[in-house]
Amino acid sequence: MIIDINFVGLIIASIMASAVPLILASCGELITERSGVLNLGVEGMMIIGAISGFALMTVTGSLIIAVFGAMLAGVLISTIFAFLTQTLITNHVATGLALTIFGIGISAMIGKNFVGIPGKEFPVLFEGLKDTIPLISPILFGHSIVFYFAFALPFITSYFLKKTKIGLIVRAVGDSPESASNQGINVRIVRYACILYGGAMCGLAGAYLSMIYTPQWIENMTGGRGWIALALVVFSTWNPIKILIGAMIFGGLTIIQFHMQAIGVRIPVQFLTALPYIVTIIVLVVISRDSRKIRLSTPSSLGKSFHKDN
Amino acid sequence: MNTNLKISNVTKIYPGCVANDDVSLEFNSGKIYALLGENGAGKSTLVKILSGVVIPDEGKIYLNKNILKLNSPSDAKKNDIGMVFQHFNLFETLSVFENLIIDSGEQRENLKEKIDTIMKKYNFSVDLDVPVLNLSAGQKQKVEIIRCLIRSPKVLIMDEPTSVLTEQETSELFLSLKKFSEEGILIIYITHKLKEVMQLCDEVAVMRRGKLVSVSQINNENIESLANKMVGQDLKTIKKKKENTSSEQLIKITNLNFTSEDPFETNLIDINFSLNRGECLGIAGISGNGQSELFQVLSGEIISNKNSIEFNKNFIGDLNPQERREYLMAFSPEDRLEQAAIPQMAIFENVALNNFKSSNFFNNGLINESKIKEHSKKIISEFNVNTDNIDLKSQFLSGGNLQKLIIGRELITSPDLLICFNPTWGLDVGAINYIHETLIKINEQNKSIILISTDTDELLKLSDKISVIHRGKLSKIMNAEDVTSEKLGILMGGGN
Repeated sequence: MIIDINFVGLIIASIMASAVPLILASCGELITERSGVLNLGVEGMMIIGAISGFALMTVTGSLIIAVFGAMLAGVLISTIFAFLTQTLITNHVATGLALTIFGIGISAMIGKNFVGIPGKEFPVLFEGLKDTIPLISPILFGHSIVFYFAFALPFITSYFLKKTKIGLIVRAVGDSPESASNQGINVRIVRYACILYGGAMCGLAGAYLSMIYTPQWIENMTGGRGWIALALVVFSTWNPIKILIGAMIFGGLTIIQFHMQAIGVRIPVQFLTALPYIVTIIVLVVISRDSRKIRLSTPSSLGKSFHKDN
Repeated sequence: MNTNLKISNVTKIYPGCVANDDVSLEFNSGKIYALLGENGAGKSTLVKILSGVVIPDEGKIYLNKNILKLNSPSDAKKNDIGMVFQHFNLFETLSVFENLIIDSGEQRENLKEKIDTIMKKYNFSVDLDVPVLNLSAGQKQKVEIIRCLIRSPKVLIMDEPTSVLTEQETSELFLSLKKFSEEGILIIYITHKLKEVMQLCDEVAVMRRGKLVSVSQINNENIESLANKMVGQDLKTIKKKKENTSSEQLIKITNLNFTSEDPFETNLIDINFSLNRGECLGIAGISGNGQSELFQVLSGEIISNKNSIEFNKNFIGDLNPQERREYLMAFSPEDRLEQAAIPQMAIFENVALNNFKSSNFFNNGLINESKIKEHSKKIISEFNVNTDNIDLKSQFLSGGNLQKLIIGRELITSPDLLICFNPTWGLDVGAINYIHETLIKINEQNKSIILISTDTDELLKLSDKISVIHRGKLSKIMNAEDVTSEKLGILMGGGN
């Protein structure tokens, strides 16, 4: 059998496409967590983004309104989380879980009228270059703008955290909100901003699923990707570049096991389906096992409420 | 230019406690002021007010006759008030330089230059690129001071700055502070250590229970007069009777090692010592040099090689704390509310946690409450715990009472050896005296003590033998009579 080299390129491109929502949501959550806030509502925010994007696209017909509307929806729902955890000082874990349950429920309710409606085609960039170089072209060209943004995001996030002053402040707040507050940094505002940013990225990840990846609305269509995104953040030890690696492994194994099932490889289906989860976590644990580095990159105040006493 | 800072009628009330009661004070630059008081006297609240962390209920603050509005820490900074907190206000995982740049408006290069100038001028040397968690306490403090100096402050407030320093580091700090003062920075020095006040300061204000008790020139005071003002009563001094201790060996530690995977912990390297009945071995050191690891290894929280610990002719290195208790060891850990007691549980329940086979606290897995309560009442009366409600949650006991309860719980079974770690940390003078008396009494009953402490005065007062722990290594064991606090200081800093 001769394998068409362009076919390999297409498989790699499909792996990358399946990694996009994970990268977006993880990078958003990473910023939230770096400020010391544990938001377990990623799945909920993603699904809200998915239904908002799809609904706005269907109703208004504008893709731009739909994409930004989905991000705004993510911001709005994360505002609830921010208000509860930062202003009313509720427990991060319980509030985040509630957010996910809420998001899944309300998206199903809104989505009732949108089941079965076909999506719209999302414009892709550089389509003309798709056939120029074998193998490379299908990987690099002919994708949506969200795709390119997602693959730039880990590098932008890394630069932001390491090289910019605001990034430094985010890390400082996550390391010690008490010290930050005593230094005159407004911890609450920084954390609000990081939570809302995380919400926007999760909203975008959801919109990518319902508008670009599989352009339609299906109830519960995020299918646990939010939880994988959360796991990626932790197992990458809050390192955006490792998130990229983890998301690619997860996406890759998901696609490959899919093809293996299709070909009829004699391995139990359940094992193949579980494979991406297991391998991703093992690989990330192995590449991040330096306990010193873990200590240095883990936000010390993660998940702890900060209440300024006065 | 002369700086004048005036606190006028400041009051701050917390639920159930008046932290500052109508306090008025005036400071002028060129002098070093001491603010002296016991724990809970209100000095920390006052400096938090000056640094904008806490907003007073009443009263005003003036800087050079202008009223100051200090609603947040950044207001204090804007008005050139610098503050070095007792618990360092640094970001442990960020590098030194990142810690310094975070709240300065300066460009990278300018700031680097400025830091260089400051370090040269005051002879500081700190590596700017390492994460703060790798620094020693003395270096961390220097980072805090540099952070203040970058803003060329008019006022510099130091809150209990020497609690984590060695003697040498302390004298270096004092030299720097005197230099700052000569350069016109107004220095307010908060402490409860009388010696330091006499050594460093020009004027002293004493606080007690939220009130200002006195303001005076240092020349008119001495250690006793200040102590009496601070405590509000005449203090009796207790001395240990030096008696001939027995020569019967009780515990022997041989080649004890502990290697940790946590970068925050210290490895213990080849620990060897032995202790006779009736003796107290003091282990000095700056916190973070392996004391808590040593305590955990001795108590069995960390299990080691069976043969490394010989106690009463039994090898017990591989036993857990409860099993070691059965061999008549007792433990009083450093952190009273985290390690020694469970804050949300009642006093009698905390007593029951220390469960001996012989105590009969449990019958066939059921709690024998009346037995435990009877036992708890005995501890409370014998060890002077100031409460009669044994159903009270232990978090509501004061530090002193909680420590008495813990020591009582450990001692009531009359163990052969008590291992305690900073037993008087954060307690008031009365409670400290009581604990010291109790420890002396144990020795007199021919029982032994291993006292791990960061308080050298306490160690010199109670120990028969002293050793110093530095970076996980124990110095040779010295007779307490041959040791001075200067000598301890040198060893604590890693010297010979």
